[in-house]
Amino acid sequence: MGALTYLRRLASSKPAAPPPAAASRRPRVLLVGSPNVGKSALFNRLTGRYVAVSNYPGTTVEVTRGRSKALEGRFEIVDTPGMYSLAAIGEEERVACRLLLNEPAYAVLHVVDAKNIERMLGLTLQLIEARLPVILVLNMADEARRLGVRIDAAALARRLGIPVVATVATRGRGMAELLGALDAGPHPAAGRVEYDHELERAITELQGELVGIDTLAPRTGALLLLQDVHDEVLHLAARLGGERAGLLAERAGQLRRTLPHSVHYHVTLATRQQAQKLLAQTAAFPPIQRVQFRERLSRLCMHPVTGFPLLAAVLYFGLYGFVGRLGAGVLVDWLETHLFADWLTPHFHHAAEALIPWPLWRDLFVGEYGVLTLGLRYAVAIVLPIVGTFFLAFSILEDSGYLPRLAMLLDRLFKRIGLNGRAVIPIVLGFGCDSMATLVTRTLETRRERIIASFLLALAIPCSAQLGVIMGLLSAHPAGLVVWAACMGGIFLLAGHLAARLLPGPGPSFYMELPPLRLPRPANMLIKTYSRMVWYFREVLPLFLLASVLIWLGQVSGVFGVIVSCLKPMVRALGLPEGAAVAFLFGFFRRDYGAAGLYDLQHSGALSGVQLTVAAITLTLFLPCIAQFLILKKERGWRMALLTSLVVMVVAFGVGLAASTIFGLLKVTL
Amino acid sequence: MICPFCGRTFDAEAAQAACRTCTMLGGCKKVKCPHCSYEMPAETSLVKWLRKKLGKGHGQS
Repeated sequence: MGALTYLRRLASSKPAAPPPAAASRRPRVLLVGSPNVGKSALFNRLTGRYVAVSNYPGTTVEVTRGRSKALEGRFEIVDTPGMYSLAAIGEEERVACRLLLNEPAYAVLHVVDAKNIERMLGLTLQLIEARLPVILVLNMADEARRLGVRIDAAALARRLGIPVVATVATRGRGMAELLGALDAGPHPAAGRVEYDHELERAITELQGELVGIDTLAPRTGALLLLQDVHDEVLHLAARLGGERAGLLAERAGQLRRTLPHSVHYHVTLATRQQAQKLLAQTAAFPPIQRVQFRERLSRLCMHPVTGFPLLAAVLYFGLYGFVGRLGAGVLVDWLETHLFADWLTPHFHHAAEALIPWPLWRDLFVGEYGVLTLGLRYAVAIVLPIVGTFFLAFSILEDSGYLPRLAMLLDRLFKRIGLNGRAVIPIVLGFGCDSMATLVTRTLETRRERIIASFLLALAIPCSAQLGVIMGLLSAHPAGLVVWAACMGGIFLLAGHLAARLLPGPGPSFYMELPPLRLPRPANMLIKTYSRMVWYFREVLPLFLLASVLIWLGQVSGVFGVIVSCLKPMVRALGLPEGAAVAFLFGFFRRDYGAAGLYDLQHSGALSGVQLTVAAITLTLFLPCIAQFLILKKERGWRMALLTSLVVMVVAFGVGLAASTIFGLLKVTL
Repeated sequence: MICPFCGRTFDAEAAQAACRTCTMLGGCKKVKCPHCSYEMPAETSLVKWLRKKLGKGHGQS
């Protein structure tokens, strides 16, 4: 929500309803921390049977409250939703943040997973900086010890200036010490994180305006304002009266724009560095060789000099070798020849002849474009093995942690086309299904980025099945495959660059915390591949069958022939045989359906290497499938959907024509 | 479940609440990470049944 909109709403709104427990007279103990660190287990240990679960006012997020069963039941224990930092992203994090800012706490128990303390200590530092009475709970201490992580809790407590207690909440270990620390009464510590010079200057300027809010440390308020997490801060500042809140929001925006990176980046970097410094003096981690190797490999994946050759190797072995050769070559060949040509298709013909006496209706099932002989065959024998191998290769990349590193690697390149590393998510998802990826462009920060990413998805990103079929088709013509890949890469960058020039706007920043590289687990990979194949098959089979029915209807009514005749001059201009017009018509239904049509043409020997390359280039750039067009219309509106489709058609035909002409002039054979 | 893109943990059922605003009317059978919006397929009923039978109720990662 924009600051001005928020302020208008604030001016017209009634005072906010007090949180449900605001009336409680018991001192409040808040449990905060990331998800899955054992907060709920600790909550159950601390509370008795009487627990109240209610939605936080104005949200659907549940907050659980209970009375402490020890210490004479004098505390109210509140289990907050999972949060990673004070700069909230999701609704759950926002609720946790509101609870911290709005409900004065006797104690804040920051529960961390002891074995992952390095990733979690940053929030402890933020809580201390916010002047909250924090107790650090090193939960899952047994697992950490088993993995060789040694944390000197006493030394860490001295360095942080807060109580630190090791617990195993599931077994009740460390509870006596925790209750002792609670009973003693924690006090806000005086610690603070040192940020770099520019951010410190901005904080200093803003925090002076926030003095006087009793539930918020001015320094934290300034940081939240700078991170654009200002709803709560402005609400609190509005209590101070006058135009103060509006001026604060405006000044925070001005200061934010003077910083070289996003404030989130500055804050995460500084807290992480300070956490590492603290742990270097108070904890010992197992010196595992593999971790060092992973770290080195992680850096190699992201460095421009080594990252792009590694990406090329991933594409060559993963996509070309595994999907193109094994999936689209060996598996498709076996299914086509043995399962369908030798066994199923003759059975279909016999059954149709025996059961359907009318040739017209028989054609619907076993004709040239029949539901069984074309629709089912394309879906089962051509597309399924290809998407199966693609999804398996993809799950290896996904589980290994390579994708976020790819985002980092491509960030600089993407910035030149008006996007950033965040756009890797929709682009990568586009290789699975462009329609779904178009929906995911919603997550990009600006409208400009969303338009550019949607356009590039419609133009130059082939979906998994289409990619696999093209890999399979061109694997017999490696030079053609290189030309096709260079053409796609070049058009992606050129179209992106031109789109970014046409739609000027500020360059967005990108920052993400990298999860560790890990060895994929075979069971997990198989489950994901299976789930994706089921999802894809459910989506693709009905559409393929429907397309066969529509083509049959078109044949019966004569419309099919008219459309194919209209497309013939186009395919002739591209130097392709007239039969390719049918594949292009298939492409209107789904691009992978069209690619499967090319597969049939190539098998019948109707296409040379050059023709195949030209057809693959044109069909890849061709109009999005019907589903993607509808989603584009829904997300970007009729005007943008029609404009995108028109540009895509012109570019597809233009590039195909240019490629055909150049190959002809240079007498290239591929 | 653990997001394979950003590595953060989230509750798959809670994440599916976001599907109510989606154009696909909840028909895509995918789960979206609330932190980075990466999408992954939801587990099929067969996989859920197998997990239950094998006593591994921790969900996919």
